Amino acid sequence: MQFGNFLKTPWLVVALGLAWAGPVRAGDTAKVITKQNAIRKECRFFAPVVVTVAFDDELEVLSSQGDWFAVKKGVDQGCIHQSAIKKKSFSLSGILGSGGATSSDEVAMAGKGFDPLVEASFKKQHPELDFQAVDRVEADNVPEADLLTFIQEGGLRKPQ
Amino acid sequence: MKGLLAIIILAASLLQGCVSVEIPGMEYLNTAATVVTQTAKAARPITDAEEYYVGRSVAVRLLAAYPLWNNEPQTAYVNRVGQVVAMHSDKPFTYNGYHFAVLDTPEVNAFACPGGTIFITRGMLGALRSEDELAAVLAHEVAHINFRHGVDAIQKARWTEAATAIGAQAARDYGSSDLASLVTLFEGAIDDVFKTLVVNGYGRSQEYDADATALTYLERAGYAPAALEQFVQRLIAQGKTGGGGILQTHPATEDRLANIGDKMVAGTAAPAQVAKRTKRFAAVVN
Repeated sequence: MQFGNFLKTPWLVVALGLAWAGPVRAGDTAKVITKQNAIRKECRFFAPVVVTVAFDDELEVLSSQGDWFAVKKGVDQGCIHQSAIKKKSFSLSGILGSGGATSSDEVAMAGKGFDPLVEASFKKQHPELDFQAVDRVEADNVPEADLLTFIQEGGLRKPQ
Repeated sequence: MKGLLAIIILAASLLQGCVSVEIPGMEYLNTAATVVTQTAKAARPITDAEEYYVGRSVAVRLLAAYPLWNNEPQTAYVNRVGQVVAMHSDKPFTYNGYHFAVLDTPEVNAFACPGGTIFITRGMLGALRSEDELAAVLAHEVAHINFRHGVDAIQKARWTEAATAIGAQAARDYGSSDLASLVTLFEGAIDDVFKTLVVNGYGRSQEYDADATALTYLERAGYAPAALEQFVQRLIAQGKTGGGGILQTHPATEDRLANIGDKMVAGTAAPAQVAKRTKRFAAVVN
């Protein structure tokens, strides 16, 4: 089979898709997809925090335990919930050499660019909207100890 | 054999992070990569972080229509119940977490903004009779967020606009026209979600899915899943089948109730614990 024909085969497309968009597995490098999160001593909610992590931090995935992954960040090791990370992806155009530019489709895939800069422009166009009100809502965090007490007093189940 | 060689070359190139050799047929690989990219784009049109920024502005629009209810004990209580339900959901962590607040309006309703901010109204709090019913309403809203129903409300055509609005250079450095296009797109997305939340409501299948999933979340958390059925049953019994608010955006109909009945999961909540929770609900809400 000529290489050109080989590359036309649909299975390669599928394989590439799986390689870039597959689930997180042991041995992968994962990225934190939440603004902030924590690597915990054990694979459960409310376990002591080993270290806090931030959006885009890279973690080495060691193993999976239910909905949690054992991960390593530098010298720190512990667990993080599966919904807080995603497998690190590669830039297709970076790999395939499109002159260093990011394609518009990649922009669309990575996101539409809805970020603080866009929000700031939107805010400027709508001075009547009170973003401080939503900031107040977001600032209202329940301390873990209070939540644990609330669960226990209500006869509820602790999440795993 | 040539195929194997190609795989080795490709694998080595991926490991190095770049392709530095001229390979005949690379144009087909580029085409294949485009297909993969477009497939991924269609499957996941918006990141969690972007969903959060859309949701924040939707929340601001809601807060322009209904001010926050400045009742600290009630807000703190709703937040605690909501956090418990969210931790037992399929997606306990969103980009900036879940936040729950009460809106100062007698209208009976609840709203899930994309990304994790959930509002219930003062009127809704007054219509509920127990903590388990409150958990049921919040679990339904958390399910909408887990399913990304808010993002689904954004017109599909807007994503096509996005791809054409932003040039390659803009990916790294916004030009003023690129930014203006993005802001227009952003505003359109906010409008779409806002109209769905406040005026049109989600589709019937989305409501059914949110109800069925809420039952699971309630059971996991130790709340009585039957509380959702009780609340919807009461809305129907009260004959509130028209008008605005929740009855417009979350219709309380016999078929919705039948769906809840079909999907009901066996709860393990002890009656004594339900009573205890109802007592603490009454202490805060009444």
